[in-house]
Amino acid sequence: MSEDKGKFSRRDFFKGAAMGVLGGAFLGMGVYSYSPWRKAHFPEVKRKMTDIGACKSVKVTNISETSWFKNAVLTGDIKGAGGLLVDQYTYNWPPFGDGTGLGKGSYAKGIAKIMHLLPNNLEEAWSITEKLSVNPDNAGGFAALVEVEEMNGKKHKYLLDSGWSYKWMDECFKREGIDQMLKNREIEALIISHEHFDHFWGVPVTFKYDPNITMYIPDTFYPEGLQYIRDAGHKGKLIKVKPGPKGLNPIIPGVATLLFDVPIICRVYGEQAIYANVKDHGLVSVTGCCHFGIIQFAETAFREFKYEKDQLYGIYGGLHISPFEDWDPKYDDLVISLGKYGFQKVGCNHCTGVICAKKFIERGYPIQKGTARFRSPDPAYLGNGDRIGFGVEV
Amino acid sequence: MEEGVGERYGIGYLEERKLIQRWPQPIPAIVSLVLTLAVFYATWWIFQDPRGWLRMYTPYVGYMYTRWWLIMLIWMVYIFNYWPFKRNWLEKSHPLVKGSILTAISVLILYVLIEGFFTGMFGNLGLAYFNPERIMKLPRMTEFFAIEYASLACLMFAAIASWLSPAWVVACEEVPWQNLGQPAKGISILVMTFFLSTLIYFMTMHSHMGILYYPWQYFTSIAPPYWEKFANTVSGNFHVAWIMCCTVTVWIVETIWERFPFSLIKTNWLRRVTAFFGIIAIAWAMHFFLYFAQELTWGPAIRGTRLINAPDWRWLHVGEMAVFFLVPAIFITFYCGNWPKRFSLPVNVLLRTAITIAAAALLYIFYYKISHDFLGTQKGFMHEQQFPMIPTIWLINIWLAHHWFMDNWPAWKMVPKTADEIAREHAAKEAKLAEVRWTPSLGWGLGIGALCGVAIYFITLKILPWMYQSITVIK
Repeated sequence: MSEDKGKFSRRDFFKGAAMGVLGGAFLGMGVYSYSPWRKAHFPEVKRKMTDIGACKSVKVTNISETSWFKNAVLTGDIKGAGGLLVDQYTYNWPPFGDGTGLGKGSYAKGIAKIMHLLPNNLEEAWSITEKLSVNPDNAGGFAALVEVEEMNGKKHKYLLDSGWSYKWMDECFKREGIDQMLKNREIEALIISHEHFDHFWGVPVTFKYDPNITMYIPDTFYPEGLQYIRDAGHKGKLIKVKPGPKGLNPIIPGVATLLFDVPIICRVYGEQAIYANVKDHGLVSVTGCCHFGIIQFAETAFREFKYEKDQLYGIYGGLHISPFEDWDPKYDDLVISLGKYGFQKVGCNHCTGVICAKKFIERGYPIQKGTARFRSPDPAYLGNGDRIGFGVEV
Repeated sequence: MEEGVGERYGIGYLEERKLIQRWPQPIPAIVSLVLTLAVFYATWWIFQDPRGWLRMYTPYVGYMYTRWWLIMLIWMVYIFNYWPFKRNWLEKSHPLVKGSILTAISVLILYVLIEGFFTGMFGNLGLAYFNPERIMKLPRMTEFFAIEYASLACLMFAAIASWLSPAWVVACEEVPWQNLGQPAKGISILVMTFFLSTLIYFMTMHSHMGILYYPWQYFTSIAPPYWEKFANTVSGNFHVAWIMCCTVTVWIVETIWERFPFSLIKTNWLRRVTAFFGIIAIAWAMHFFLYFAQELTWGPAIRGTRLINAPDWRWLHVGEMAVFFLVPAIFITFYCGNWPKRFSLPVNVLLRTAITIAAAALLYIFYYKISHDFLGTQKGFMHEQQFPMIPTIWLINIWLAHHWFMDNWPAWKMVPKTADEIAREHAAKEAKLAEVRWTPSLGWGLGIGALCGVAIYFITLKILPWMYQSITVIK
């Protein structure tokens, strides 16, 4: 025994203390950490109520939501190239195909084949890249025309994203009259939601008709993306939107964009979304893919902005839930939770996924159904050529 | 073979080998670290890196193989004691030869298990979702996600097996087969732990897979699952979290804790039962704390959001954070001789734990600062394809193969201990344990220590948000 009876032993004391420290710490961890008492540590949410103004209405025309036409082909490429984290510029997808095969490309080698043709001779550029790229026929693209009416009646047009395939996007632009609007300089700005191939790689199609258009891009673009804007022939103003609430980017009264600091598959970072505060209705979200999640959008809005009737009113765009018709229980968390946010008009499509749209409909959410035209797969959501209005009927 | 007679294979091999440093510390530790990191990086590039050769980090395919390879190593060494390799071969073979052969066998068994048992047998005769070809029959399903789903099911099973396989040896001390020869002992423990893993899989992970389908498979799995309200998610990541914490706790108890405090219990059955459930209790404490730590730094989780704010990701991240603790714990034991050893057992354990926590925090920061550049993972804490468990377990696997199969070559040389050395070591161990017994001074220490432990816990809660704000992990 290391101590005589009644005599204090420093060695024994430290042995006990060492055991006590571990025991006490684990006791605290186990008993307190997931108890209701822990909530006292959470800071109270203070609403900043930033005023972005209000607009009269927002109208969205779906130019194209079919970013690719066959999931099996796209995911087959992803599988073959090495999975969801492979850099998008190395896939050898059009327009950056260099003929070396799946997963072996690079921006520099790909753009060298077509740069001299951008942005005015896109037919030839596409015919070259078709021969050098992996599955060029699967490329589609995402783009939407956003029309906003100010309270004083003044109307503004914005292009959200510019799709992927030059060929497909040019067809879609012509179908919806976007080519003429760009030529006439009716469209005030191109807002790129994020750097993904299906939203951004079709920018030469926009520049073909208006190379001087103002562009809003996320400040998180990789060097290849920034170089592509230059190589594709952009001559207008380029505005880089910074992440977080401090980077709120007001465009006109009632409309602002906000960049969410979010990592995305295929080595992309950051996504910009449009917030519109529609008079007498509430807040509307217009998104490309919504990689940050629609509930994150809603929670951010609640914390940061002042909006009509304190009502989250509408949604348009991809909600990035099941882009490849894949599923995960966490998506059910979203489907279950979305109802409590009270959105009144939901125009989802693209990476929302048909399964998800059907689950929304089953839960009774106000989903705007589509017409499934122009290669859109299902009327469960808004398809190509369909329109939705917020504060205005279309 | 008769019990206790004849060929012993590798029974007791790890305890009965003497690893002699070729140079004074810290040179062997540094040499081993540099060497194993080089092997890690080369193999990462070959097998896992999304920019590399085989690109198995899809992520679930690479994740599944990483998790199951860990279990193969545990099976070969802890459960089968290197059977069918004879003791003489283990002691006489050059570490490089031994390492190459045993590693190759572990990979072969791994491949047979995944392709033969899970995909071929289980996926064709039992549960369809273990077989990608069967999942492909679902409407709209693509090959890529069919493989990912099947891999996910396999790796969820692996999470459980990686806890129970070593737990039966470390906590339950191989009971009731501890005196059986190999391979009878190995087969018995394998069957028992696999059986338990299957039971726990059905109760924790099967519902996760059941609600992957549209519509939910109400009639074959519990959907929505029973943990929905408690965990604030229907995702099985809630279970992945505590089970990963169990795996980490088993190895912490086995390595830097030297099976303390359970080794203080003299009664065999009580020690084994207490150790088995004590590990679970410690793991649950870790499970809750690591979740709370995220709430303190990133704010409360919001159900339905994605990634960093989503409860399902937060639970998964609990498991990921736990594995960061395992890396330094293994390194301290394998390459630093379980330093420090100069104090009493409880003090040594406390100091090693403190070092492990500090090293894990640094490793966590380092990982998120560099992983996207060095490992080809996505930048940021949260991403559906960002799994720090893959590289950390991959590194641990390399260390296990190096320590178990290669005797820490080249910085150490292995010689068998003599009978006298073994006896002296046992006596010293017994003496260390006997030294920890009840005295009033120990009681005072225990009480005051417990108060300090609780105080440290609450101080940690206060400083965590400040620390997170003060350190820029990701620009």
